Amino acid sequence: MNKTKKPNFTILFFSMILGIFMAGQLKQNIPILTPVTLSSIQATKYEINSVNKEIEDIEKLTMQRTEQLQILEGIALGDEDIIDILDAELENNKIAAGFEEVEGPGIIIRMEDNLAETAFGEEFDFDVIHDIDVLRIINDLRGAGAEAIDINGQRVLSISEIKCGGPIIRVNGKSLGAPFYISAIGDPKLLNAAINAPNTYAYALRTIDQLNIETTIEDHIVVPKYNGRFNFLYAKPLKEGD
Amino acid sequence: MFFALIGILIGLIIGLILPFTYNTAYSLYISVAILACLDSIFGGIKANLENKFDTGIFISGFFGNAILAAFLAYVGDRLGVPLYYAAIFTFGGRLFENFASIRRILINRRKAKKEQ
Repeated sequence: MNKTKKPNFTILFFSMILGIFMAGQLKQNIPILTPVTLSSIQATKYEINSVNKEIEDIEKLTMQRTEQLQILEGIALGDEDIIDILDAELENNKIAAGFEEVEGPGIIIRMEDNLAETAFGEEFDFDVIHDIDVLRIINDLRGAGAEAIDINGQRVLSISEIKCGGPIIRVNGKSLGAPFYISAIGDPKLLNAAINAPNTYAYALRTIDQLNIETTIEDHIVVPKYNGRFNFLYAKPLKEGD
Repeated sequence: MFFALIGILIGLIIGLILPFTYNTAYSLYISVAILACLDSIFGGIKANLENKFDTGIFISGFFGNAILAAFLAYVGDRLGVPLYYAAIFTFGGRLFENFASIRRILINRRKAKKEQ
């Protein structure tokens, strides 16, 4: 009797130890161990990068906010004059909105129609610069981080139209004729790449349609301010507390 | 068989109640060790049914197999060779062998009882 009981209890005891370990394993919530594929590594990499970027942005925002807080504290203590601060802010807003002349490094793009006798194809249409060409190039520049853009002296803002007007294009209601000089302020390397790198739109225009597109990198470009008048007729700010 | 099941259930409950966890990095080693332990338990049940149960062999097998399996998994990780497959195949195969023996013994016993 004694001999038969003992093994059972030993087994019971060790089964309990095993059960405890199993419970520990259950509590781990182990994700299913599938083999890591290259694409999943890539996806995780992108995820990490985007999260890191987010963190950076948030840190920048925190810095900005602390600066603002310091300014406000300065006002509260009477160290700084509120009018000076408001003036500075007005200036900042004007620059951001494009109502101030700005200067800086960037590139100038010269776009001209295909002037060769033997034009591309039979269609005359392929040899001239269209509004859509200018639009796409400006979009490429914006994608490359351009901060201020003008076409033949017309500042391109968020409200600016680029429209076909027969032999000319219309920007900000003004008629512009070829050749078009597009100046953009930003990182000159990036902007240059956005125009000259293979498989960009400008590259296609230059190599296929054989339009004359030349870029020059400049250290000092002046982009004029928007010289129209602009008032919102329909859009009204949504006031808090209304 | 019955005792082992009860034991595992009690152990699971205790383990879930106790605030006892370990590093996730070890979960592979622990899982291989669990397989080895499970094999030992089945071996113990089988030996018990055959009336050949030896506590020393059982306990040394329980811990020895578990530690060896975890160690194999660890060394495999270090060398870049999945050595824990060796433990999985060995103990997994033996688990089924042991279970087959247990089944046979129990069924034969029942048959013998009926004939009596």
